[in-house]
Amino acid sequence: MNSALIVPFIVTLVAASTPILLAALGELVVEKSGVLNLGVEGMMLIGAMTTAAVMLTTGNPYLAIGSAALAGAFAALLFAVLTLSLSANQVATGLALTILGTGLTALVGRPFTGQPVPTLGPLFPPALANDPIWRVIFGYSPLVYLSLAMVVAVWFFLMRTRSGLILRAIGESDTSAHSIGYPVIGVRYLAVLFGGAMAGIGGACFPLMLTPQWAERLTAGRGWIALALVVFAAWRPYRLLAGAYIFGLLMTLEVYAKTSGGGFRIFPSEFWAALPYLATILVLVLISLSRKGSTSAPACLGKPFSPAG
Amino acid sequence: MMRLNRRHIMQLGGAAAALPLLGGQAFAQEKVKVGFVLIGTPDDNGWNYGHDQGRLFMLDAIGEDKVETTVVTNVAEGPDSERVFRELAQQGHQLIFGTSFGYGDYIHRVARQFPDTRFEWATGNLTAPNVALYNAKFHEGRAVLGTIAGLTTKTNKIAYVGSMPIPEVVMGINAFALAARKVNPEVEVTAVYVGSWFDPPREADLARSLIAQGVDVITQHTDGPVIPQIAESSGIVGVFGQGADMSAFAPNTHLTSIIDHWGPYYVQAVQSLIDGTWTNGSVWPGLKEGEVLIGPYNPNLAADVVAKAEEVKNAIIDGSLHPFAGPINDNTGTERVAAGDIIDDGEFWAVDWYVEGVSVVE
Amino acid sequence: MQFRLEKRAEPSRLMLYLAPILALAITAVLGALLFSVMGYDGIGAVREIFLTPLTNPYKWQDLAVKASPLVIIAVGLSVAYRANVWNIGAEGQYIVGAIAGTGVALLTYNLSGPWILPLMLVAGMAGGAAYAAIPAFLRTRFRVNEILTTLMLTYASVNLLNYLVFGPWKSPTAMGQPQTVLFSLDQSLPYVVPGTIIHLGTPIAIAVALIVWLVMSRSVFGFQIRTVGLAPHAARYGGFSADRTVWMALLLSGALAGLAGILEAAGPFGRLVPQFPTNYGFTAIIVAFLGRLHPIGCLFAGIILAITFVGGEVAQTTMRLPFAAVGVFQAMVLFLLLAADFFVRHRFRAVEPKTSARPA
Repeated sequence: MNSALIVPFIVTLVAASTPILLAALGELVVEKSGVLNLGVEGMMLIGAMTTAAVMLTTGNPYLAIGSAALAGAFAALLFAVLTLSLSANQVATGLALTILGTGLTALVGRPFTGQPVPTLGPLFPPALANDPIWRVIFGYSPLVYLSLAMVVAVWFFLMRTRSGLILRAIGESDTSAHSIGYPVIGVRYLAVLFGGAMAGIGGACFPLMLTPQWAERLTAGRGWIALALVVFAAWRPYRLLAGAYIFGLLMTLEVYAKTSGGGFRIFPSEFWAALPYLATILVLVLISLSRKGSTSAPACLGKPFSPAG
Repeated sequence: MMRLNRRHIMQLGGAAAALPLLGGQAFAQEKVKVGFVLIGTPDDNGWNYGHDQGRLFMLDAIGEDKVETTVVTNVAEGPDSERVFRELAQQGHQLIFGTSFGYGDYIHRVARQFPDTRFEWATGNLTAPNVALYNAKFHEGRAVLGTIAGLTTKTNKIAYVGSMPIPEVVMGINAFALAARKVNPEVEVTAVYVGSWFDPPREADLARSLIAQGVDVITQHTDGPVIPQIAESSGIVGVFGQGADMSAFAPNTHLTSIIDHWGPYYVQAVQSLIDGTWTNGSVWPGLKEGEVLIGPYNPNLAADVVAKAEEVKNAIIDGSLHPFAGPINDNTGTERVAAGDIIDDGEFWAVDWYVEGVSVVE
Repeated sequence: MQFRLEKRAEPSRLMLYLAPILALAITAVLGALLFSVMGYDGIGAVREIFLTPLTNPYKWQDLAVKASPLVIIAVGLSVAYRANVWNIGAEGQYIVGAIAGTGVALLTYNLSGPWILPLMLVAGMAGGAAYAAIPAFLRTRFRVNEILTTLMLTYASVNLLNYLVFGPWKSPTAMGQPQTVLFSLDQSLPYVVPGTIIHLGTPIAIAVALIVWLVMSRSVFGFQIRTVGLAPHAARYGGFSADRTVWMALLLSGALAGLAGILEAAGPFGRLVPQFPTNYGFTAIIVAFLGRLHPIGCLFAGIILAITFVGGEVAQTTMRLPFAAVGVFQAMVLFLLLAADFFVRHRFRAVEPKTSARPA
């Protein structure tokens, strides 16, 4: 690849990685607290549709992002009530959330379908943002910088704060955390709501940045990639950042190889499309090997907790 | 306003269509009932929009006192569509249009069960006593777009984004590339496939990376206006509307569009049903018949470019120009069509190679 | 007088069977309200979606065809979920089963004989089981969570399908369209009810539900699955290997998903096309839960889900209700069922006001 291509390549890669990074950061916190929410795709769609709706009615991108976060969190609340208060099965509830999100956004979003949505342009002034070289750093939508800031924030929260420690303790052993007196259910509620808000903001990236419109099933499976990414990153925020960019790299590399008319011919394009998923499985195995028989998954992941039991 | 009107009309149609379930055949004798099965929704600004516009055109031309329509949207190409076709036939629809290739197996199954119901299979390849075929020569429109692309590109790099490598897309690429290289032999055409029936984020990324690599005119064969939007925001020379005018999404970059104008065909088919002259024909009209239209040109397009585009269009209409007239070499340099020869309508579907100047990764 | 929520000593059998009916009833009411608010005829929508498919005899064949794959997959999943093995990649096993069976069909295309179809079905089961063996191996050998691996493999399987139908398996007579050849008569499912589209898959689905029910309730295998699921520690005392249970649960659910896949390919589809994956594998998860993870329950739940699909199409053609409404109804049923399940395990009991109620 010649040097003139490297900047646009990285810009595309970063933009493509951002929604999955945002959604995966949220899911990481959810899973660290011991809850598995498979509804990421549904919550992202809800965020994307809300964003398009708010943009088309008010034109205020920050209001749109805020609304997307709220809508995502509201959808997550439904999940939280069922799984945390009513101890419903998390796998089934998460899938139901994705089905609901897909159907509801298709239904409610009909008036907004196929209309151009104004995008949220670069954060920095045009002199920097449009510079052929420096736009690799300054040329992004605020959503990109938000995603990077959130990586640091999530890392700091989980690893450097007492609340983060409690959250991790709850994910590792809910019963002992409960016996010490930590509010297991309350913390998990907050984690799930945060996860929903982040998925909603991840969804907002589509109309505001990537595909300036709303269409049914707009996110085209990115929510599932976000779920894979959390595993790929072994539940660590910085690895998540690296992982999101590796996924973005794989997707963008394949796109560039295709559009440059060469390379990548050794394998059919379907192989490259499947690669992020196969790589995730491989990483799971590698993590397991390096830790002699146990993955670094939170021990309580997906298991219901009821204080009485 | 356009959109509101369209939806409003659909709702009215819906209210009318709900009645006959109770009323039975009495209604059907007064009005013909016509069904439309769509793979997406009419608000996609592309393929489904085109068919729905055609339906509205037909309703308007024939009159809602003589015909009523039912539209079923988001019907997957599989056994689910078989149920929809049967449901429509059972409800007394006398003519049912299936607007996607993948409905074929199921149209034929239902057609055997309902010999008195007429079916029309868009882009299909097999007739039956009550199954007709209709298609449109989009590739004729592609030749006009290719001419404009060849004349306007500054980098001599133009691109074609297709959804999946199916014959219509392959031949669209070939018609586009042949026309572009005819007016500008320096042009290189990059053809890419999204590899999915629906993935707007990926379409957008493909467009971005093409633009980064110097492509300055793009045409696309996917549903929806994402690529025009990306082209507009990148400020390249040009992009084209597919299926419908998409200038609203790219006011500066949208040079013109291929418009699927199914309306006249739908009028003719429904009228022949009313008159009792319906046949299981197989039609493949194009620019000449007005089924494929070239949309308004961008006002900024140079007059000589517009003149050349019109010249190509008119030559195809009057028959003096064939989009696939030899000599044609493929992209490995082998001669595929000799001088004086053409790729005729029968040979069209067997073409699995790309013309000279096209680089493609399937 | 106050009411206190408490855990039941034994799950309520009454609530266990009442919950799905309650969930459906509340969905009907809420759905009617929701769609009325959205400007549709809400009551009409509920009537068309939930009742028309039952009252119109023409629709029964559609219910049978739509329910069959859902039931077959869900029965397998219910066994796996009972054992606490979370196979959510039935969709992938369904696709690979169809691919394996189609492979046999393409190899035997120029042959004839009554042995071809059974061989295809066996290949379909083997394909599904083999694809489920990957997560089984990874879970038992490397302790890798099967929820994630089965999901990842589903995405990989879609790409395998596309590769085959766009590449080596593309029919030479399809005029370049991505599809395999149409299966021959010996490779297609026979219709079992004359004059309808009900095919061999329907009696197979019923048989699968009955056989798995018998096996689960009468055999050591069934006992083992249930014990491992309910009380893993006790199971270990009883000499049951957790790893073996994981293997059996995944192989069985994979084989049944694969069987559903080849039945669908050799029946309603008649060939493989890129549009083959229709989310039966995911919808079957709803069916398994709605059916209370019980094989006979799955039979009824499969029919209920089929009703929503078929009814959704009716509502679309007769009253312009968008098809997306079906997804909303299905999600509502599942949500409400999961919520109602709470009362299978809990109950309100009147207590003296003095007692301070502990937050649940």
